[in-house]
Amino acid sequence: MKKLSLVQIKANHKGKITEILGGLNLHQKLMNMGVYKGKEITKLSHIGLKGPVVVKVGRGILALGHGVAEKIIIESE
Amino acid sequence: MIKKIYLIGNPNVGKSVVFSRLTGVNVISSNYPGTTVEISKGYLRLRDEKVEVVDLPGTYSLESTSRAEEVAVSLLKEYPKEEIAVINILDSTNLERNLLVTLQLIEEGFPTIVCLNMCDDAGHRGVRIDIKKLEEILHIPVISTCAVTGVGIKLLIDRIGEAVPASRVKLTHEERWKEIGRIVEQVQHLEHRHHTIREILEDASVRPLTGLVMATAVIYASFKIVRFIGESIINKITDPVFFNLFQPLLEKLTLYWQEKGFWFHLLIGDLINGKIDFKQSLGVLTTAPYIEFGMVLPYVISFYFILSLLEDIGYLPRLAILLDNLLHRIGLHGYAIIPVLLGFGCNVPGILSTRVLESKRERFIASTIISIGVPCVPLQAMIFGLLGKFGGFYVGGVYLVLFSLVLILGLILNSTLSGYSPEFLLEIPPYRFPPLQMLGQKLFFRVKGFLIEAVPVVLIGVLIVNILLYFKLFDMITGIFAPVIHGLFGLPKEAIVALAIGFLRKDVAVGMLMPLGLTAKQLFIAATLLAISFPCIATFIVLWKELGLRDLIKSTLIMIIISLIVGAALNFVVLH
Repeated sequence: MKKLSLVQIKANHKGKITEILGGLNLHQKLMNMGVYKGKEITKLSHIGLKGPVVVKVGRGILALGHGVAEKIIIESE
Repeated sequence: MIKKIYLIGNPNVGKSVVFSRLTGVNVISSNYPGTTVEISKGYLRLRDEKVEVVDLPGTYSLESTSRAEEVAVSLLKEYPKEEIAVINILDSTNLERNLLVTLQLIEEGFPTIVCLNMCDDAGHRGVRIDIKKLEEILHIPVISTCAVTGVGIKLLIDRIGEAVPASRVKLTHEERWKEIGRIVEQVQHLEHRHHTIREILEDASVRPLTGLVMATAVIYASFKIVRFIGESIINKITDPVFFNLFQPLLEKLTLYWQEKGFWFHLLIGDLINGKIDFKQSLGVLTTAPYIEFGMVLPYVISFYFILSLLEDIGYLPRLAILLDNLLHRIGLHGYAIIPVLLGFGCNVPGILSTRVLESKRERFIASTIISIGVPCVPLQAMIFGLLGKFGGFYVGGVYLVLFSLVLILGLILNSTLSGYSPEFLLEIPPYRFPPLQMLGQKLFFRVKGFLIEAVPVVLIGVLIVNILLYFKLFDMITGIFAPVIHGLFGLPKEAIVALAIGFLRKDVAVGMLMPLGLTAKQLFIAATLLAISFPCIATFIVLWKELGLRDLIKSTLIMIIISLIVGAALNFVVLH
C-alpha cells in the first residue's frame, strides 16, 4: 500500500482517499460533491501534463483541476 | 397553507424541465451546471389557488460555497417554513450524491417532498430504486418522475400538500455521508448491464487521445452543419422570398413614387442601375431587412440549433476539460469555454454567463476577451457574405488574427493582473438526448430573443445613418478621423461611417461597407477592426453592468489600443 496523490496514480486505478490537503473552502466544496476522507475514488484519465484529472466517485464523474488533484491523497492497493 | 413552492436540487438534474412542467412557463434549461444563475418564477394552480413556484439555482449542499448556492439558500429562508413547500429534485441515476441536499433539508425542518427525476434514464442504466422504502426511511413523500416526457408530474402536483417537516437529528458531514451510504444500500438495486454505446462514448470523451479526436470531429462537424443549414435557409427560403416576392413589390411601389426626395432616400435608398439592390441600396425597407432576415437570421437559427444540441446532450463540460490546459495559461479555466461559445452567438449572453466563473479577475479576462476576440453570429455571417467571394484565405485570416489576439491578450492579462485564477471542479453529466420538442422550444426562445433585440436597433440604425447621410452630417466626422482611417488603416474615409455604426450593430456596419467597393485587403482590415474595436452598444451596457465603471474603462482602453495597433500592423506590415 502506498500513498500517492490523484495526479501520481495511474489512470483506471482505484483507491481510498486518506487525506485532502488544502484549505477549508476546498474541503467543503469537495465534501459537498461527495469527495471526502475514506471515500473510494477511481481515476479515469489525466488530460495532458498539467491538465485536469477525471475521476469517478460513486455513480458520478467529476473533473478536478490539476491543483485540486494534487491535494487529494489516495491509498491504492 | 402553502404560499410558495421552491424547487431545489443539484445542478443538472432536470430542475428547469420540472419547473416548466409545473408552471407552463418555458425557461431555458441546459445539460451543464450553472445555467440557472438567474431565478425563474412561475405559477401553479393548486386547488383553485395560484401559488408561486420558484426555481432555485442548482446547489450541491445547503452550506453555500458558490454565489449561485448562496442565492438558493437565502431565498429558501425568505418565508416562514409553515408557508412554503420545498420540492427537492434528484437525479435517480446518481442517488447517493443527490441525497445530501435532501438530508440537509429534512434536518433543517423544511416541509419537503422528493421528486426522483430521470426515472427512465435510471432504468436504462440498470438502477432500480425502491420508492416505498425510501419514503419509509425519510418520512416524506417520494415521487418518481420523468419530467421530459411528463411521467409522474400529475402525481407530484397532487402530493405537494403532503410536504411536511420530518424529524431528523443534525449530523456532521462525515456522519451524513455514512447515513447516505446506508440509505442507498437499502433502497438502490443495481443490475449489471453491458456497456452501451452511449457509455463507451461518454468514457472516450474524457480521455486525452480519444477525447481530442472526438472534440475535433465535433467542432468540425458543428461548423459544417451550421454553414449547411444557414446556406440552405438562405437559398431555399429567404433569398426566394426577398428576390421573387419582396423586390417586385417594392419596385411596383417605387413606380408610383413621383418625387424621389427625402423619404425615398430614407426608405428605399439609392437605386443601383435603376433597380433596388438589397445589398447596396441602404434603405430602411431594403437593405435593413435584408441584412437582418436574409443574411444574419439564417445563421442565428443554425448556430443556436447546434449550440443548444451540444448543450443538451451534455458535451460542453467534456470540451471544457480538454481545453482547461490551454485556458489556464490565459488566466481562465476550462469552464470559461461556455461563456466563450455563447459569445460566438451574441456577446451579450456570453458576457452575462461569465457569472459562472468565480473570481472577478476571471470575469474581467473572459469579458474582455469575448468582446475583442469573439465575433458574434451577425458579424460572422456578414464577414462570410462579404469576404467569402474573395476566397477562404481572407475569411480564415480574420479568424486567425482574432485567435492570435485572444492568446496574446490573455497571456498579457494573466501575467499583469493581480490575483490568481481558482482551480476548477466540475461535474461531468452523462450524455442525454434531448427530446426534439424541448430543443425546439429552446431554439425558439433564443431566436425570438435575438429578433427582439436586433430588429429595432437595425431599423433605427439604418434610419439614423440615412438621415445623417442625407444632410451630409458625416462629412464633418470623416474630416476629423480621416488621418487615422485613411493614413493608418488604409481605408477610404467613407468607411468611418461603417466603423462608427459598428457601435450600434456590427452586422449593419458591415452592411455599410458593401456599397463602398472596397478591395479584399481593405475589407479584411475593416472587418477585423469591427470585430476587435468597440463592442456594440448592447454588449457595452452589459460590460458596464457586469464589470463596473472602472473595469469597463480599463477594458475599453485595451480595445482602442489593440484596434490601433492591429489596424496599422495589418495595413503596413502583414498585407503590404
